[in-house]
Amino acid sequence: MLANVAKYLRLLGHLARYTLNRELAFRGNFLVKVSVEVLWLGIMIAFYRTVFARTSNVAGWSEPDYFFFVGCYFALNGLVETLFFENCNEFAELVRTGDLDFLLLRPIDEQFLVSLRRIDWGTAPNVLMGAALMIIALVQKGWEFDLVRVVTFFVTMACGTAIAYSFMLILTTFTVWMVRNQSLMEMWWMFSSLARYPKEIFSGRWAEPLGNFFTYIVPILVVCNVPSNVMVRVLDPYMVVLTIVAAVVLLWLSRRFFQYALRSYRSASS
Amino acid sequence: MIEVDQLNLVTSEFMAIVEAIGLTKTYRVFQKKEGVLGALRGLYRRDYREVCAVDEISFTIEPGEMVAFLGPNGAGKTTTLKMLSGLIYPTSGEARVLDFVPWQRADLFRRQFSLVMGQKNQLWWDLPAADSFQLHREIYSIPQAEFAKTLGELTELLGVAKLTRQAVRELSLGERMKMELIAALLHGPRLLLLDEPTIGLDVVAQAAIQKCLRDYHSQRGVTMLLTSHYMRDVEALCDRVLVINRGGMVYDGPLAGIIEKFGESKLVKLQFEGLAPDDLGRFGQVVRREGPFADIKIERSRVSEILSAVLERHALADVTVEDPPLEEIIAKVFEEARLDHDAA
Amino acid sequence: MTPPDGLAAPSAPAPPSAATLAVEPLPRHAPPRGPIATLKKHTKILRVSLSERMTYRSDFLLGTILRFLPLVTTILLWKSIYESSGKSELAGFRYREMIAYLLLTHISRMFSSMPGLAAGIARDIREGTLKRYLIQPVDMIAYLLSYRVAHKLAYITMSIIPYVALFGVCRGYFDGIPGPLTLAAYAVSLVLSFFVGFYFEASVGMVGFWFLEVTSLLYIVMTLNFFISGHMLPLDLLPSPWSTILKALPFQYMAYFPAVVFLRKITGWNLVLHLLLELTWAVVFMVLSRGLYRLGLKRYSAYGG
Repeated sequence: MLANVAKYLRLLGHLARYTLNRELAFRGNFLVKVSVEVLWLGIMIAFYRTVFARTSNVAGWSEPDYFFFVGCYFALNGLVETLFFENCNEFAELVRTGDLDFLLLRPIDEQFLVSLRRIDWGTAPNVLMGAALMIIALVQKGWEFDLVRVVTFFVTMACGTAIAYSFMLILTTFTVWMVRNQSLMEMWWMFSSLARYPKEIFSGRWAEPLGNFFTYIVPILVVCNVPSNVMVRVLDPYMVVLTIVAAVVLLWLSRRFFQYALRSYRSASS
Repeated sequence: MIEVDQLNLVTSEFMAIVEAIGLTKTYRVFQKKEGVLGALRGLYRRDYREVCAVDEISFTIEPGEMVAFLGPNGAGKTTTLKMLSGLIYPTSGEARVLDFVPWQRADLFRRQFSLVMGQKNQLWWDLPAADSFQLHREIYSIPQAEFAKTLGELTELLGVAKLTRQAVRELSLGERMKMELIAALLHGPRLLLLDEPTIGLDVVAQAAIQKCLRDYHSQRGVTMLLTSHYMRDVEALCDRVLVINRGGMVYDGPLAGIIEKFGESKLVKLQFEGLAPDDLGRFGQVVRREGPFADIKIERSRVSEILSAVLERHALADVTVEDPPLEEIIAKVFEEARLDHDAA
Repeated sequence: MTPPDGLAAPSAPAPPSAATLAVEPLPRHAPPRGPIATLKKHTKILRVSLSERMTYRSDFLLGTILRFLPLVTTILLWKSIYESSGKSELAGFRYREMIAYLLLTHISRMFSSMPGLAAGIARDIREGTLKRYLIQPVDMIAYLLSYRVAHKLAYITMSIIPYVALFGVCRGYFDGIPGPLTLAAYAVSLVLSFFVGFYFEASVGMVGFWFLEVTSLLYIVMTLNFFISGHMLPLDLLPSPWSTILKALPFQYMAYFPAVVFLRKITGWNLVLHLLLELTWAVVFMVLSRGLYRLGLKRYSAYGG
């Protein structure tokens, strides 16, 4: 069992190294990608600075707290995009051309190959940038170091990443049945727009049930909300447990769904 | 301590490598309706028709055999290969490959065979082939020493040792196919499945690949099942031929048997002392008549009788009796099978 | 991370898949403007892709649901902002106006975004297909313009129904439809924003004569444009030096300006002045793109096309 894990890690190491070489071979392109991400972060910061010039808080989040949230979102999204996005995007193409077959031939778990084949180093700096923003926000807030919070933060971040990945996998899996290539990028952008804001904006007669739906049933809202809350606001043990449970359940569900889709693919193709 | 290889050889003496029993594959093709109204209907109900790609195919392949699947396009060859690889589920029927049920796709099963598809690229596209090989080594858990040795042998055999550090997309089709083959053989599979491996390649590359496969087969005793359009491949590599048409098996036996069974005529090439006469039509179908030369297709059974008749009447400078090209025979087989099928 | 909106297909932000809800496809007659044949062709293409879209059910369903989510979250965000600020007005925008503004910028973007224009020009330059413009008596810019006009008209016509539906649902954010003069000014501003967008992106594409990787430049420009055109928030909301600067730049015409015209934020002679300014910018970019094109062609043929 342990040998297996070691093998997958080594494989991942190889893949990471090779894709990095390839990326650096197209250095100019790489720099442009990174510049655009930097620009995008700049725009988000500009947007929220403008907003906070006119209000002291948004939905109960103070400026440093909110910026921590933004940094958390940026880092987490960067992580998901670096590791998984390009691969999931390609999945529809693999299905369409039948090249998926070659991944199925290998004595390696298909989900691993489909999800982690390439590492998109262009978005990797986002993790660092998001981390930097988070640290700045903490300093601005005058945050006091609390080991429990930090540890819980990393745990919930990892869970948040797992939840985001699971949703991405579920969306990707749908493409097995969609004969035409609906842009995964578009779908993901729209879906992840839910994770982009604090849960507290879902207030009011119609919004609150919606917010609860996206917290407890389709738990995309917990992805950035819980880690951020844990670190700078309220460490709610129930929410932490919810996040961990959601991560485990969603990983399992998405894997089952993916395997079901593969079976269906294999029944339908010729 | 018996090494795994030896163990395999021992057990392989007692069981068939591939056993297919009544393999069938049908699938649905959805019909798209015309126009906007039809498309609306498509939202809640879709019409489809069933296509039978493989129809109750049964055969057995013993270890060390080199078998060819012949058949026209759409006959079901690739589908059969895919079922044997475990890539698709059959609609009905059974199969055992290397003593596994292929579509259960056990890890151990997947380690022991390779599928190579012509004109399709399994290697990582923008990596050098060497990197793909490294990944293969990791994926198949090949020990380092064995990996280095096998890689050296194969690159030497195919003459591509200098190209492994070039990105795969920069290689020519022939070179790419050679790399594909290397990747397929690195982990020492016991069964090699090849789908049109030399399609689109020039003659030199084809010959190189054929030689590599032959050599590999004689060295390691690997069992090979290949589909091809090119008779040259089949003649060069395979002793046994399975002919498939429209999903059904039409012939299963040695290559020579096809010629005997289906080759109804022989091509008799005559060179006359003088000009070739123009009444040769009564002996058979005159394929060519130029100056002193005449080629006639004559029924096998009547060849000697007709030859004597010709010799009696004319002076001949040279006579050759040939089988018609294999392609022609095969095409005839398909044609007959089609007629049978339509009549049934 | 970057929104697909800002880059490749900004013509399709709000629900094109909602277009699939429409059963009656298209207008029976083409609007009396522009090259009718190309219009008909584009209409046909869009109709075919419409029916193709409907054929794939899960695609259709999932797409429809997903399209509305960003809109919902944006509205909720601004509601929270207004509530938390305790103010009823931010930079002269009341809450409902803010939402109306954001909806209207989608319409402006529909007119001013030119997906693939600069990239297409750059590709023509790079691959040498530009030669046909040298050989044939066809003016590349005029050709591209007529193509865009037809394409836009077809697209807009296709999107009328879902947009009407969307605005119908959101009518509570609007104070009714403005008067005829405002509507006329709005229409003019939209048409001009089309030209500003077109000639601007054409100019960027022309840079491809000198700088091969102009698509990277475009990528950066478009990301920036997403913000400075006022697509994310009204430019008035920005702090003092920025607000004035950005309102002097032409990018505002691609999202901000038409929206505020509709909302009657600019009226009277001020409005006329700004419309003239918009026209001026359109002309400036037109001249720029033509100039660059001429210069570029000279350079291009000098290097042996």
